Amino acid sequence: MTKTRPMSRSAMSRSARTDLVISLVLIAAAIALPFLVDSRYILGQIVLALFYATIASQWNLLFGFSGIFSLAQMAIFAFGGYATAMLCFYFGWNVWAALVPGALGAVLFSLVVGLACLRLTGVYVALLTLAIAQTMYLLIVTDTECFVMVGSVCRQFTGGAVGFARFGDLGTRALLRAQWLVGNYAIIAVLFALTMVFTYAIVKSPIGLAFRALKDNPDYAVARGVNRFQAQLLVFGISAFFTGLAGGFYAAHFQAIGPGVLSMSQLMFIIAIVVVGGVGTFWGPLVGTVVLVLADELMRESGEFRTLGLGLIIALSVVLMPKGLVGRFGDLVHWLTRRRAKLTDAKPIDSNIVQSPAPAGK
Amino acid sequence: MVDVLMAILVAGFTSGALYALATVGLSLVWGSMGMLNMAHAAMLTLGGYVAFTVITSLGLPIAIGFMGAILVGAVAGAILYFAIVRNLLKNDKSTFEANVMIATVGIGIALENAILLTYGGQPLKQPVSIAGTFRVGPLTLPWQNLLIIAVVVVMMVVVSLALGRTRMGRAIRATAQNRDAAQLMGVAVNRVYLQVLMLSGALAGICGVMVSSMTQLSPPLGNDPMLKAFIMCVVAGLGNLPGAVAAALGLALLESFVQYALGARWGFPSLLFVVIAVLIWRPSGLFGRAEIRRM
Repeated sequence: MTKTRPMSRSAMSRSARTDLVISLVLIAAAIALPFLVDSRYILGQIVLALFYATIASQWNLLFGFSGIFSLAQMAIFAFGGYATAMLCFYFGWNVWAALVPGALGAVLFSLVVGLACLRLTGVYVALLTLAIAQTMYLLIVTDTECFVMVGSVCRQFTGGAVGFARFGDLGTRALLRAQWLVGNYAIIAVLFALTMVFTYAIVKSPIGLAFRALKDNPDYAVARGVNRFQAQLLVFGISAFFTGLAGGFYAAHFQAIGPGVLSMSQLMFIIAIVVVGGVGTFWGPLVGTVVLVLADELMRESGEFRTLGLGLIIALSVVLMPKGLVGRFGDLVHWLTRRRAKLTDAKPIDSNIVQSPAPAGK
Repeated sequence: MVDVLMAILVAGFTSGALYALATVGLSLVWGSMGMLNMAHAAMLTLGGYVAFTVITSLGLPIAIGFMGAILVGAVAGAILYFAIVRNLLKNDKSTFEANVMIATVGIGIALENAILLTYGGQPLKQPVSIAGTFRVGPLTLPWQNLLIIAVVVVMMVVVSLALGRTRMGRAIRATAQNRDAAQLMGVAVNRVYLQVLMLSGALAGICGVMVSSMTQLSPPLGNDPMLKAFIMCVVAGLGNLPGAVAAALGLALLESFVQYALGARWGFPSLLFVVIAVLIWRPSGLFGRAEIRRM
């Protein structure tokens, strides 16, 4: 089923063309969106969804394309957010100036994590990164030592269970006043677009092929001269840069960051997005984000059953569609083209061949 | 000084025994089928709540509450097999490891949330507990800790006898050593998987009752022991049962020493440092081997 067809030059350019068309449609939709949506709540949720999509696309780069099952994704995101917030809070930096240093901090952190995981494979990586993320959460939440006094309130170095707030914003409130949310939406949409462009370039580049080779058959890849040490640290660093940058923008957008982003449910939401969308597919994280954020909004009506529903969605989609929605869609397209080819091959003896219904793309 | 040392040792051995039970449940499943059960925490919690329901709400004796926890744990394991594992095994072998982990994460969240919706978030008191202490010379030992250690020792003996002496145990060990060879020799591998998951579920049920008797019943009850059990599994090498027990005891003692010396918040980070150090030195754990899985 997973047999790879030999890709001719024309097939490759066709897939690139499809990607281009999809991206142009998406860009048009993204530009049209603020004019179509005037509900502040919906626009806010869309901004949040863009954050999810950014994080998920980077986790997909790590897990889907490189086979590294890291559960430290939200920890790296939080690291970027915290670094940005702390630079602004303690040194009074402008948020825009602190974003890239925050992202670089996240890269450093992820390189340490990557080094610790370097000799491990599969589940061991997952367990170690999960433990690192949990440790970070516990150390932040249980931090009670006073670091500075703000007025008469004691402030912990890591912000403790409360986190940081009011350290500055993206400047859209001063510039656009009532329309600030649209400004933030534009900024985050550009961030997401840039992330996707870079991810695309990486995935299609030789280094992206090296990541995939290491995922599919590590021994063979190493024997063919792929440097596992270098490639693995590189993919950790790249995905951490964008994840950390998204963390900084997240902190700046909400003007707050707390240990809540490190919670298990946030991590699960990201994993669910990638799994439902399609692990190792370029558009999977975006599709997954749209589906899951919509499902989440629908389940908001039933309130308390949200988490329950989310858990069941994760489990069921792994069982029912291991390659995600994008994979299912690919199967469907494949089936339709094969069927069409067969129909044109076979002589139309019977004139009343009816188009049989397409299989339900569950 | 001696009092403090003894208190630390008692606390360390008690939590070590609990971790060992959780670790064995995880390690058994990993060793025989290469599956990391992320829903183990929720199964632990389920066991604790079942015992609570049977004893407090239905007013039945403690022993029946215990049996109920074991039974429901085993049934949960069976459901997990039929709903998830059996279907995932049909797919590509190379994706099983990651897929089953993600799927059980989902099941774990759903189960924990279902418990939260059924019982509410407020902590409840686990009725399976004995009050009072007894003295041996200069030592004061709570009965509760002794009960836990005794139950765990009994369970360890039962598990090792089941694995070592019974037909089922031989089939499980054969599957763990070489799944294909076992299948060729006529072992019904799928039935073995079902049995392992039921056994692991039953162990999780007991473990949940014991853990909640030390603290209180709450929906996220199982998460902390499971996270530590993961670390212990990794230190020992996944799938190695005697190693898992040794690692559980050693790390639990270390944790209680660190918690006494540096404060409670450094207990878990210290375990993390140990696991990172061990993994850099030996990537497949202290007793684990990259190729051969032993039980």
